[in-house]
Amino acid sequence: MIGKADILATMRMLQEENLDVRTVTLGVNISGCKRDGAADTAKAVADRIRMKAGGLLRVCDAVTARYGLRVVNRRVALSPAAALLEDRTVEEAVEIALAMDRAAADVGVDLIGGYSALVQKGMTPGERLLIESLPAVLSRTERVCSSVNIATTRAGINVDAAALLGRIILQVAEATRDRHGFGAGKLVVFANIPEDNPFMAGALLGPGEPDCVVNVGVSGPGVVKRAVDRLVQADPDCTLDEIAEEVKHTAFRVTRTGELIGREVAAALGVPFGVVDLSLAPTPRPGDSVGEIYQAMGIRKLGAPGTTAAVALLNDAVKKGGAFASSSVGGLSGAFIPVTEDCALSEAVSSGTLTMEKLEAMTAVCSVGLDMILLPGDIEPETISGIILDEMAIGVINRKTTGVRVIPVPGGKVGDKVDFGGLFGGGTVTNVNCPTGSADFIRHGGHIPAPIQSLTN
Amino acid sequence: MEQSSSRFVVSVLVADRVGILRDITSAIADLDGNIDAISQTVVENYFTVILTATWKKPVPAATVQEALTARFGRDAAAVAVRPYAPGKAASRSRRTRYVVILTGPGKLGLLKAVTSFLAERGINIEDWFVEKGAAGFTHIGLVSIPDALDIKHVQDEIRQTAAELEMTCALQHENIFRATNEVGPIKSLLRHGEAGRG
Repeated sequence: MIGKADILATMRMLQEENLDVRTVTLGVNISGCKRDGAADTAKAVADRIRMKAGGLLRVCDAVTARYGLRVVNRRVALSPAAALLEDRTVEEAVEIALAMDRAAADVGVDLIGGYSALVQKGMTPGERLLIESLPAVLSRTERVCSSVNIATTRAGINVDAAALLGRIILQVAEATRDRHGFGAGKLVVFANIPEDNPFMAGALLGPGEPDCVVNVGVSGPGVVKRAVDRLVQADPDCTLDEIAEEVKHTAFRVTRTGELIGREVAAALGVPFGVVDLSLAPTPRPGDSVGEIYQAMGIRKLGAPGTTAAVALLNDAVKKGGAFASSSVGGLSGAFIPVTEDCALSEAVSSGTLTMEKLEAMTAVCSVGLDMILLPGDIEPETISGIILDEMAIGVINRKTTGVRVIPVPGGKVGDKVDFGGLFGGGTVTNVNCPTGSADFIRHGGHIPAPIQSLTN
Repeated sequence: MEQSSSRFVVSVLVADRVGILRDITSAIADLDGNIDAISQTVVENYFTVILTATWKKPVPAATVQEALTARFGRDAAAVAVRPYAPGKAASRSRRTRYVVILTGPGKLGLLKAVTSFLAERGINIEDWFVEKGAAGFTHIGLVSIPDALDIKHVQDEIRQTAAELEMTCALQHENIFRATNEVGPIKSLLRHGEAGRG
């Protein structure tokens, strides 16, 4: 029999520390759904989603009952929809996206990703159309999420795409003005996008993936925070390497639960299991915050010098624990810093200790990038493009994934409060230091070449 | 009637001290018996062990009993020796192991209620542990549940049964505990095959 202390420790994680499976995401390949007409294509996509994901809800519920471990979200990630949009119009693209949205509702998933394009080296007409359709798609659908990869370490950075997306993000926000620009919260611009990320809004079924696959995202910032709390309480003089060790052990346990659930769901659905992505993804609920982990480590004011080092420690320890726990670790696996979705980060931004620039520094060592940050509504599109380019550069040079998910709040001024509700939380519109001055750089367009790090062969 | 056998099941209950298992195994070895399986535990300063042992030739049960009793004194230990009989499995139905955890003040009749609940549903208790702490009692049980039962229903019912006795109860699949506390591959915990990569 397993040791009593081990059983009680696991129960504590489940019952008191918010351990759950944050998402079971079913990847579905839709590249074969292209038909002569848009309506037929839309129908083929919807039929395939219903056929492949029809049992997802039932299976997840059964596994939840079996293990007593809650599967919080069930989601679908499609192969990039841009492949279906060559020779289409924006209205036809919207028709296909609406079919995805309805099918997602039918199978009981709250978000469906993969309205996406990979344009790091250039854009096909279909990929450009997908990007240009985003204001209409993200304002007229409820569940559809989009991602655009505009940079890789191998290919460099597509500056034209960054310039276009600066304008598009503003248009998406304006098109969803009635929801404070929330449509932009369903769009992520990536460098080095992972093919198997189960977390929204950036989930897609990337190149090289199976036809259909289960990827699982586990979270557990509350579990890690409590583990650090216990360690520090027992030994206030503990060293940071001891904290890293504690985080690593905790990450091991959390990752293992994710793989267990993922393999069960995959077997029940009759599809391969892909990866478990251990990403400390917060919710707005106190006790489920990544920022609180840094505070538990001793960063009393988030944004203070030392915060970036704390992020690096956490992100690395999480990866190490996950890597030992499973040989199927993938996706992003690390620590997210989505501002509106994390009560401690959001509070730090509101109080001014955590700035846009400090967040950018943190993204050099976290698992993704600038995430769920509220910007003033009158921000220049070139400024958004500049933010994107900076973030892409961090990802490309450091050979890591970075992303930008910012929400220009229509009519919003610095200091305004916005609440999206639910898991998306809320926060304060934040200042971009020096909001002008990058337009001429962006206007050059073209391509920032792949860095020397790309020449590995 | 004198019972002779070449295999016995033996239990010993005695106040805990150093060297008990040495005394028991020595008594059996001195009679040329070979121990096949053994499980021991200590509860609040009392040691108990159950074991099975095999002899090349049948020996009387009384001989084994006397050899063991002599090691502790007739009044100091409770020794039982029975000829081994292959048991019937609790049920031939397919079963899955779950862990029951009960916490709370521990009212009179709690164990009777919970174990009756389990028995009435054909749920076999494989191990059970109770500890009293500052916050009350903690029960941890390992049980095997017939797969034919609706686990969600069982979970709801046992929670309700426990709540009536002011206890909180969780009934969770064993694998969740093994996954978080063992280092072997997760695949080894699953009884089914996995779909191949497409």
